[in-house]
Amino acid sequence: MESRLLRVDLTTGEMRDELLPHALFERWIGGSGVNNWIMWEHFLTHDIDCDPRGPDNIFVFGVGPLAGTGAGSGVKGRITFKSPCYGIFGDSAAGGKFPYMVRFAGYDHIAITGKAPAPVYLYICDGNAVICDARHLWGKNSAETHEMLRHELGDYPSAAHTLTIGLAGENQAGIASVVSDASRIHARGGGGAVLGSKNLKAIAVQGSGGIKIHNPPGLLKWSDGFRQKIDSNEAIYGFKRRGTLGAVEMYQHIGGHFWRNNQGCLFRGEEVRSDNWVKKYHKYSEVCSADCFIACDGRYKIDGTESEKSKKYAGETFRRPEYLTTASAAGALDVRDWSEVAHWGKVTNDYGIDNQDLSCAISFVMELKQKNLISAHDVAELFGKQQRLEWGNMEDIEALLRNVSLRDNLFGQLFHDGPYWGALRYSEMKGQNFMKYAIYGKGGAAFTEEMRPFPTWMNNMAVASRGADHLKGIGLIEKFQRRDLSKRYFNGRTEAADLSIPDLKGASTALLENQVALINSYGVCLFHWMLDPAGFAPEEYYGPAYANITGISRTPQELMQNGERICNLEKAFNSRLGLRREHDTICERWMHEPTTEGMYPGKVAADMFETVLDEYYEWRGWDKTTGLQTQSKLTELGMGDVAEVLAADGALARA
Amino acid sequence: MSNFPQKELVTGATWYAAGEEIPDVDRKLYALQNQCTDCNVCEVACSLIHSPVGELNPLLSRVRINHAPSVNSRKAVHDFGFVAAICHHCGNPPPCAEVCPTDAFYYDPKTFAAIIAQDKCVQCMECVPACPFDVVFVAPDGELLKCDLCGGEPACVKACATRPEMNNAGKQYSRAAVLFYEDTKTFRGIVQQKPQKQDEVGIMQAMLDRGEISSAA
Repeated sequence: MESRLLRVDLTTGEMRDELLPHALFERWIGGSGVNNWIMWEHFLTHDIDCDPRGPDNIFVFGVGPLAGTGAGSGVKGRITFKSPCYGIFGDSAAGGKFPYMVRFAGYDHIAITGKAPAPVYLYICDGNAVICDARHLWGKNSAETHEMLRHELGDYPSAAHTLTIGLAGENQAGIASVVSDASRIHARGGGGAVLGSKNLKAIAVQGSGGIKIHNPPGLLKWSDGFRQKIDSNEAIYGFKRRGTLGAVEMYQHIGGHFWRNNQGCLFRGEEVRSDNWVKKYHKYSEVCSADCFIACDGRYKIDGTESEKSKKYAGETFRRPEYLTTASAAGALDVRDWSEVAHWGKVTNDYGIDNQDLSCAISFVMELKQKNLISAHDVAELFGKQQRLEWGNMEDIEALLRNVSLRDNLFGQLFHDGPYWGALRYSEMKGQNFMKYAIYGKGGAAFTEEMRPFPTWMNNMAVASRGADHLKGIGLIEKFQRRDLSKRYFNGRTEAADLSIPDLKGASTALLENQVALINSYGVCLFHWMLDPAGFAPEEYYGPAYANITGISRTPQELMQNGERICNLEKAFNSRLGLRREHDTICERWMHEPTTEGMYPGKVAADMFETVLDEYYEWRGWDKTTGLQTQSKLTELGMGDVAEVLAADGALARA
Repeated sequence: MSNFPQKELVTGATWYAAGEEIPDVDRKLYALQNQCTDCNVCEVACSLIHSPVGELNPLLSRVRINHAPSVNSRKAVHDFGFVAAICHHCGNPPPCAEVCPTDAFYYDPKTFAAIIAQDKCVQCMECVPACPFDVVFVAPDGELLKCDLCGGEPACVKACATRPEMNNAGKQYSRAAVLFYEDTKTFRGIVQQKPQKQDEVGIMQAMLDRGEISSAA
């Protein structure tokens, strides 16, 4: 297997084309694994406590070996960096065509350091790279930048695909995102602020090279089997029609939504609860990520006749909103009109900002206003003028989105790193403690899903390496009460599927984190794995595809160990930054305020939190008291060198 | 130039002179307009199955997805949407074969697809503008690329994300697929199916009822 890395130093303008050594693939598969390793190595020679917005931070883009190869599981590009908003490990994935084109342009990974003196974009074409002036693109939103670059670069040797930042990234708002091909977003962690701080407006690629497949007949045969598996799976059909939006009904059923800063866990609007909108807006083509056999994505078009409010957006087209976009608008901000929810997805993409942190920051101030904890005077101080701060008022919400993106008033300056840092700064400023109303998990990252009744989910929010998140160790076993999966993964034990007890919840998190990490390092989409009713084992299923593509054979145990290694490296990165057990925590509302509605009322996270966390550390083989990794675990994973670095930093558990 | 064609369909091929009657074919390749999801799987599968060296590259594919309207050089076909551009396997003789100065085209005896014999092709590219549907493509090395129906089992049809298998009767999801290689009757049957509505909770319940998943210990 040949895998190339492009290193770019924006300070000097120096670029290097490196062939990644074979030894690297003994421990890492590619994708997130290699990305993490590149960043880890970078911070062995650079100060890990550096300012994430400074030139010393690194921004790594990478794809895995299965991406775009006809393996049919989509393409996921991954960006890895030190997060500017949470100050810890940061990474984020997005699909689309950009990662696919990076491979055809000859690279699997791109590592960017330094800071350009003026706005630039990086142009890569068939193994050549050049840094170009981007002053004409500065100040444009992500969609405009994409269109301008496409026009500028033409479509020879192929159409150009781009990674861009919007206004939020330019202004280095902590929660700024990186937008892939104007419509797919690497939302979490603040990658946009890292690019903004480096004065890098965009990366554009064109490629006409191919990907060498080790065993094409084997791969084609494997793909046939994979398609049959997908076609015989009924869950896929619903997913194909609505994508993650299917979760709206499911969560309304079990009480898994996040409503008005999590004061409730059910959606209220009649329209947003059903999927009627799919018929109403979804009139045109479905679209999907490159190389995906499923196609869960689609585009909407608003005619202006659907509802009273839709008139404002007549003619607008964009990718249809997925679940978390809906949860952040229809849930966190209580927007009840579908055209507005869809529009929210488009504007957050255009500005290039994470709608999770943003909606939680906005709903935080809205709740303060709702509970009369801030006066009209305070509001005027925050916004420089009066703001109604009404739930569900899309015009005002959009104004607030602009404030955070541009950091052009006090609210934007306080809250551009998300609700946790915003609430902390505001509390300090006012000399009053508002932290009770801020929603956050690890690292101060916010998330718009209810987790109090779901112990694995709650554990995910506390331990995810990139800050509160559900995609790092997605707790499917308990949320859908799948005893069959629990039995399969835990030697016939069924406790993991039982919501009422803490047993095996930490274990589920550890196991699923390893599986997710493995899939992320393949560079394919998580959903193919999650939708398998029989319980997908990525180590068994993707193993042969990996062997056919790269010629590297690995046993399922080795592959799972690979996933575990990735989780351990992410953990080690955070430990070096000083994160310990006390940082694996969640906010007060989730911890102590009981749920009031849904299928599981009266639940607080505190009931099981510590027990589940203990179990998680046990299954991980880490020290329970400090939360640090142990020498024995790291040696077992062949990460003795990582243990040495941790020991030197005092971040290794004492034996 | 790659050593295409390399599959067994070439051996013993019958050569039909231009203008000669060819027998009726049962199965036809259908490409429905504006149903495409732009997943590129057809391009990937096509290039891989035709590559003698295992190289996967959409620019070596004989089916292309036309992007409209974001690509400037191509005319927007629809407001937005994508169109799978693939050989229509038209008439007898097809316009591409008719203009060929070296008579490099022949018919596959099994599928009656017109195929370019690469050893006879001089890459004059006369066939490219002759094609009324713009579906004879040129590879970066000059090789002319035209659909050969993969000897009767088109890889693109099998791989299409909207493949007919994903529209089975009784399933809740139904829509027209993009690529078909079917006889007319089956084709009509597939595209005229009615969807059966069911929500996610219902699907999980139905799977539970059928014992495909279980929540019982």
